[in-house]
Amino acid sequence: MRQKGSLGWLKHDLTHRGPTAWLLTLGLFAFYFILYYGGRTLAGVAIPDLFTPIARALHLPSKWTFYGLLYTLAIAIGGAYVIYKYRHNRYQVIRTSVVIFVQATLAFSVPWILTIFEQPEYYFSYLWPLKMEYFYPSTILAMPLPFILFSLLGSLIMVPLLGIFFGKRWYCSWVCGCGGLANTAGEPFRHLSNKSSKAWAFEKWSIHITLFLSLVTTAFVIASWGVGENYPAFSEQAASLRSLYGFVVATLLSGIIGVALYPVGGTRVWCRYFCPMAAILGLVQKFGRYRIRVKDNMCISCGMCSTYCEMGIDVRAYAQRNQDFVRASCVGCGICAEVCPRGVLRLENRWRRDPQELSMDALLNETYRG
Amino acid sequence: MHVVIVGNGVAGTEAALAIRRRLDPSRARITLISEEHPYFFSRTALMYAYMERMQRRDLEPYEREMYRRQKIELLHNRVVDIDADAHAITLDAGTTLSYDRLLLAVGARPRMVPFEGLDEVKDGLVNFVSMQDLDHCERLTWSTTEAVVLGGGLIGVELAESFIHHGLKVSFVVREPYFWPAALAAEEGELIGAEIRRHGIELIIDRELKGIESDEAGRVSGVRLSDGRHLPAQMLGVAIGVVPNVDWLREVKTVPVLGRGIRVDRSFRTSLPDVFAAGDCAEIGGEDETPLLETIWYSAKLQGQRAASAILGDEVNYAPPIFYNSSKFFGIEYTTVGQCVGVPSGTRSLYRKHPTRPITQRILFDEARVLGFSMLGSRWDHTLLQQWIAERRPLSYVREHLHRAQFDVEFGRVDLTKFQEEERTL
Ligand SMILES: Cc1cc2nc3c(=O)[nH]c(=O)nc-3n(C[C@H](O)[C@H](O)[C@H](O)COP(=O)(O)OP(=O)(O)OC[C@H]3O[C@@H](n4cnc5c(N)ncnc54)[C@H](O)[C@@H]3O)c2cc1C
Ligand code: SF4
Ligand code: SF4
Ligand code: SF4
Repeated sequence: MRQKGSLGWLKHDLTHRGPTAWLLTLGLFAFYFILYYGGRTLAGVAIPDLFTPIARALHLPSKWTFYGLLYTLAIAIGGAYVIYKYRHNRYQVIRTSVVIFVQATLAFSVPWILTIFEQPEYYFSYLWPLKMEYFYPSTILAMPLPFILFSLLGSLIMVPLLGIFFGKRWYCSWVCGCGGLANTAGEPFRHLSNKSSKAWAFEKWSIHITLFLSLVTTAFVIASWGVGENYPAFSEQAASLRSLYGFVVATLLSGIIGVALYPVGGTRVWCRYFCPMAAILGLVQKFGRYRIRVKDNMCISCGMCSTYCEMGIDVRAYAQRNQDFVRASCVGCGICAEVCPRGVLRLENRWRRDPQELSMDALLNETYRG
Repeated sequence: MHVVIVGNGVAGTEAALAIRRRLDPSRARITLISEEHPYFFSRTALMYAYMERMQRRDLEPYEREMYRRQKIELLHNRVVDIDADAHAITLDAGTTLSYDRLLLAVGARPRMVPFEGLDEVKDGLVNFVSMQDLDHCERLTWSTTEAVVLGGGLIGVELAESFIHHGLKVSFVVREPYFWPAALAAEEGELIGAEIRRHGIELIIDRELKGIESDEAGRVSGVRLSDGRHLPAQMLGVAIGVVPNVDWLREVKTVPVLGRGIRVDRSFRTSLPDVFAAGDCAEIGGEDETPLLETIWYSAKLQGQRAASAILGDEVNYAPPIFYNSSKFFGIEYTTVGQCVGVPSGTRSLYRKHPTRPITQRILFDEARVLGFSMLGSRWDHTLLQQWIAERRPLSYVREHLHRAQFDVEFGRVDLTKFQEEERTL
């Protein structure tokens, strides 16, 4: 039941898909539309470029820097709120501080400073296949060697290795800016994720299809660079595939839809259904050490964990069956463990449950058998 | 075989699922009946629905589709009669339903006392046990500025917390000299009391409710306490415990043997043929034993599963595992294992308190072994604590290994070396 008063109404309306929430979504759509297409003419209609003048007034190099500033502010302010809200939980405090720090440095000031020193604008916090360009030969050739090495080794070695040891979370809940925004400014909307098994079935398809598309696109672009001169038609195909992927996946899904849907679809629509990086990390996570441990027979099936899981995982389903689990989509945000009123859940990096706990399991089952 | 289960709470639903796991629909027809809500929901999360941390639908642990897939028939109706000789029950709608096995998992109802002035009250008095209670609370909250909660137990705190969330001025009246002596020692009770007060609730201890006042329309307008004090209130939450829901069974055609609850043996059989009972409504034990009445979620769940085995013809001899329970008082989490109150005199108690934060541990023990744990403010793996009790570990061992049972979040492990300790004989 919502709280009394107009503030109570607004809070409820905004966080429960009321008119205000839809209005905010609409506003976010408009924002992204103008950000991406401002200054261009689409179907004969000139889209006003609102953000370049603002950027200029603030002495920022471009509207993209202005956007970066807004994004960083959103993460910083939202992050401060999250740190305050979960101040008793050190995992959340440390994690959120790292998210804010990474955004403010690697994802905002470092690339900006690089451009000041006339280096390519490089984001150490983003890797292929989330940032597809970092595997395109044209981008690689334009970069200094250390950046090239970081891109290649980062994606091919660091990501899977850290994934094996810490699961997906080291990236999705500590480093990545998309996850960063979801876990800070997106906090009031996290419960809106769809928990149905239909959504889970859809996610398994959609995310691997995007992964497949990103692999194909990367392969085509690289191949066309290798053989392009001999097959101009192939190069053309690869180039259009590349721009199609860029438009549909990078712009539409990750940018516009991903963020604009926060107030009505929850915070991780892009992360859950489409992100190719998440697909890879998810596969790695399944074989790694990370898991959520469930304290046996302590769950009261209240459902707080499932409600607040931004990835729409029905955590309660596992908890009430005393089942430790790791789902490919789990980003390790740790909120399920935080909101559980009985302290049933714990995020862990361990190869195996220690035998002591196993014997206890057996012991309890003994009593069950009567 | 047709299994009819009355009550779709955790006991009834667990039983239905356990039977379905073993018998497919061609071998067992399962009907799950409830008057409260067509689908199983989590009673333990009522407060989160009231506080809008969750929506009603979030309270349901299983997708509705599950019941169709598992072919568990649901009936939203009240059972009014049982005819064990004819193996049939009658619903409020007048229809009869025959069964081969009947499981009564009808839960508990709020306890009530004939307070002075109660007869005049038509509205404003709430309990907090059923979905209908939640509806009732939600309806009344809009027209309430002051509320009184009666009864210092778990449901009382949850109700008080919900009231505070809605901006009401809350007085919390507890009969005992400190909060919840039924489970906590005085130090812990006072610590929780301080936490309750810190959230703006007036905690009134050592006082009883003398009478309820209501206005012309019959709406509660205030209460009188044993010390003559008058508290204005438009809502009175009564949370003085629950009693097994058995009164309606006294009127049915074939009445099972009743004690405080429905009497069952250790395989959940009632005195009626092919009729079983489990959960909050069941009173377990043979003729010569003190009957066991457990009204907590964990027991109801386990009993439901065990009763299902018994219904399927297994040899069942229910013995509850070493007691444990958990709760949360505002921000303070609570875990208890083993025996902590009502221990024999001569039992020793080790009380450990964090110098600055509201974190405590109490370990009860005798010369030979530890008997119980009562832990506040941090997370514990109760299975390990249970194991130490079962293994009859001495205090020295437990003290040395205590950190292994910690279950705090990563980076958040409480430093156990910092605690102030106090030992005494009870
Ligand atoms: C607010 C609250 C918080 C709680 N928190 C905790 C907690 O944190 N930890 C804990 O261990 N326990 C807790 N409990 C106790 C726990 O919820 C109960 O022990 C548990 O739900 C009992 O389950 P049950 O299946 O036996 O009965 P119930 O869940 O009570 O189910 C019985 C069902 O049978 C239905 N019924 C009864 N008679 C009939 C009839 N004649 N015809 C048709 N249907 C009928 C009732 O309407 C009800 O739906 C809490 C209880 C409440 C009220
Ligand atoms: S799922 Fe993708 S976008 Fe989301 S946090 Fe992980 S890597 Fe970033
Ligand atoms: S399961 Fe828990 S840790 Fe994983 S994404 Fe959901 S809330 Fe976060
Ligand atoms: S929040 Fe905790 S107690 Fe509630 S359903 Fe989830 S694991 Fe169980």
